[in-house]
Amino acid sequence: MIGRVKKFMKIRPRFFLSLLAAALCWQGAGITSVRAADVSVSASLSQPVVTSGEMAELQVKVTGADRADVPQQIAVDGLQIRLTGQSTQVQMVNFKVSSSVVYSYVVMPLKTGTFTIPTIPIRTSAGMARTSPLSFTVSDGAGGGNAGGPPPLQAQSQRANPGMPGFAPPQQQPQPQPRQRDAEPDPDHIAFGEINCQRKTLYVGEMVPVEIRYYFDARYSAQVRSGVNFGSEGIIVERFPEPKESRVERDGVLYNVLSFHTLLSAVQPGSLDLSGAKLETQIQMPGPLPPGFNDPVFQQLLGGRAGFNQTRDVTVNTAPLHLEVLSLPKEGRPASFAGAVGQFDIDANVANPKPAPGDPVNMTVKIAGKGNFTSMSAPQLTDVEGWRSYPPGEKFEGHNEMSFAGVKTFDFTLIAQQLRHQSPGAEFSYFDPNAKKYVTLTTAPIPLEASPGASSTPPVAATSPTPPPQQASTPLPALAGTSKGEIPLSVSSLRSWQTPMQRSEFFVASVSLFVAALSLGGILHFFKIQSEGGTPSSRRRRRTADLWSMLNSGSLDAGATYETALEYAELVPADEEKRGEIVAKLTERRDVLKYGIGGSAPLAESERNRLMETLRGLSMKSSKS
Amino acid sequence: MKSFLSCYFLLILLCGLRPLAATDITSANQALASGHAAEALADYQSLLASPQFSKASAPELWYDCGLAQKKIGDPIAASLSFRRALLLDPTLAPARAELTSVLGSLGVTMNAGWQEQLLVKVHPELLILGGAILGWLGVFLLVIFLILGPRKPLFIALALTALILGHGVSIFGSFIDPRRVANNLGVITAKTAPTLRETPADSATAQGTATPGSLITILSRNGSWWYVDDGSGHLGWIPATTITPLLPFHEGS
Repeated sequence: MIGRVKKFMKIRPRFFLSLLAAALCWQGAGITSVRAADVSVSASLSQPVVTSGEMAELQVKVTGADRADVPQQIAVDGLQIRLTGQSTQVQMVNFKVSSSVVYSYVVMPLKTGTFTIPTIPIRTSAGMARTSPLSFTVSDGAGGGNAGGPPPLQAQSQRANPGMPGFAPPQQQPQPQPRQRDAEPDPDHIAFGEINCQRKTLYVGEMVPVEIRYYFDARYSAQVRSGVNFGSEGIIVERFPEPKESRVERDGVLYNVLSFHTLLSAVQPGSLDLSGAKLETQIQMPGPLPPGFNDPVFQQLLGGRAGFNQTRDVTVNTAPLHLEVLSLPKEGRPASFAGAVGQFDIDANVANPKPAPGDPVNMTVKIAGKGNFTSMSAPQLTDVEGWRSYPPGEKFEGHNEMSFAGVKTFDFTLIAQQLRHQSPGAEFSYFDPNAKKYVTLTTAPIPLEASPGASSTPPVAATSPTPPPQQASTPLPALAGTSKGEIPLSVSSLRSWQTPMQRSEFFVASVSLFVAALSLGGILHFFKIQSEGGTPSSRRRRRTADLWSMLNSGSLDAGATYETALEYAELVPADEEKRGEIVAKLTERRDVLKYGIGGSAPLAESERNRLMETLRGLSMKSSKS
Repeated sequence: MKSFLSCYFLLILLCGLRPLAATDITSANQALASGHAAEALADYQSLLASPQFSKASAPELWYDCGLAQKKIGDPIAASLSFRRALLLDPTLAPARAELTSVLGSLGVTMNAGWQEQLLVKVHPELLILGGAILGWLGVFLLVIFLILGPRKPLFIALALTALILGHGVSIFGSFIDPRRVANNLGVITAKTAPTLRETPADSATAQGTATPGSLITILSRNGSWWYVDDGSGHLGWIPATTITPLLPFHEGS
């Protein structure tokens, strides 16, 4: 029996390989389905209740998905909710790896009241998922924002990280000292971190650059296992770009340095104590020597203690960071202020100042400078009477990897409802944290010539004004019945996806026309010849035949006979030398008969026969030749 | 001009194009006009997917489809439909206006070169066919004048001018016809801006991002990664799943 099995396996190795592959595929599918089933999403607010002028952070957590698409904005009337960044967390518990991605939104109230943040649709690799709706309250600042709400942010922050096992407590900046090679190494001196925040006092919404540096003793091999873990409730940290690597020497020790640059902004006023920025690493460090290997000769042979290195998981931490967050002043806040903090400048232009009637005008407003571009709203349009506008498109071009300095472009599409000679103006307000005051920038209307199309509805500006920029996150206006241009069209013709020159019909038609032109030329040429009595040679042939028959008939008198014979001799194809000789003789004889006596008498039979023989000989010689 | 265009379209219709599914289109239009955009969109997509529209299509149908997509809140798909309508008929003013509006909402600016401005006014097919007709007329007149006469220099010059001008206009119309290069064009239809990468790999260096709804030129195809030019000087590899070819019968290629 065993022999048969062995023989079967020897004959059918492909069968077993296929079986193995199928089993692996089945197992893979099973794993996939389990993973798909493990995807979960959740949403949470940092503060369910805020006072007017404060912002909150909305976090959407997606666990177990390879990839997730979340909306850039969430439309809630009275709130402005924009995606500001994301972070990834990877966990391994009992050899099961799970990852979760946290998407951070900043929630900016535009008015007071109680709002419901709707379910957020999230497209993941396992299908669509939705979060639960959340309630969010914006109270008037006079009553205090924390009434009935969660405790202040500082208290929350202190409770948030109770001290996870394995994480070093907040520590003072280490001061590594030169150490002996064979002394037991201290991980705190082999790797340590520093954090440098340019400003410790900042305003809500202000973007502050932060630099985080991690130092690794160059004598030890280190490997980074995860991204920087930095942040807390109440602040938003931008995504970390790729770190920069360098080398520095401190106290006689050479360190490899990883520098991370990012931006942080606060969403709520108060004191903030941020725990240090953590980085999970693995460092090759010398381990204890086994008994009997303490001999210096052994160590020299083994290259010191390198042969007994061991890998240690080390969490490199920076010092904690204390921030004082100031609220934006309510005094002097312009109506057009929508949360921009920084220093900006404004510029506007119109791409097509003379559009065709009914065509849209493309107006571009550029905000340049430094500040919180990610949560910046569009400028407000002024003097919009007679215009219909749509929420503008946005584009940001940063001057560096971080979205701190650059130019944000808002492209407005405007359609004239009346004859207009100038574009709307634009107004943009921001808070300047250096000057500690609000600044309002405006652009003057730009001269143009725009008129409504013939199909436009009557002017609607008075009844349906342009939606203010605060409603930029609302969907596009409804279509049905708003204007004739948005009414579905009936199909009038079919058009090819190819140009005529790419189509075979065009090639066939061109060839046909070419043939037709040639044919037309031939036909016309033929008729022209017909109308002229044929070609010269055919005419000559016909004439010579007529002359020959006249000569043969004998009805002509002598003078006419020689006249005819002379014409025949000149027309019939013949040797030119012979023709010249005969023509001379015939001319001489004709002249004698014509100007002498006997020209009108019939030609003698014998002379006529000689003449015919001569002419026949001429034509025969010509045919022979 | 209008009567000429009417005759021209009538001629096209008579030249063997199959009759349209007029009833379906009418019912879809009625559904869209009455606010049932999703229902209308399903009808339009069903019509456009039929074999009847594989080699030739109706610009108005793509325009209607774009309106429905815009109404259900899918401006990226709407921009693709409006672009296809304009590809078939660049003079379709409502489609141009809607495309401008939709692209404005997506933060994409429309190309406003001289070719675009010319195409707004004149259909390239009119230039190509009108020019060809004039050119061939010049050929026939030249033949007639040379053979039958009168062989006056003025007549010969007129015929030669018609020949050269007509065929020149025809070639020019073909040159500016957007369908000529549509084989290599696509629209970014991913909801989030895909990253342009230096090499076809997720881990490759990022070269920038392509804005959803923007028109890109496909320079090379390597499996599931395509090498594209976003029109602003940025070149890079992006996943093919983020692009939809402008020509519908290239979808899935």
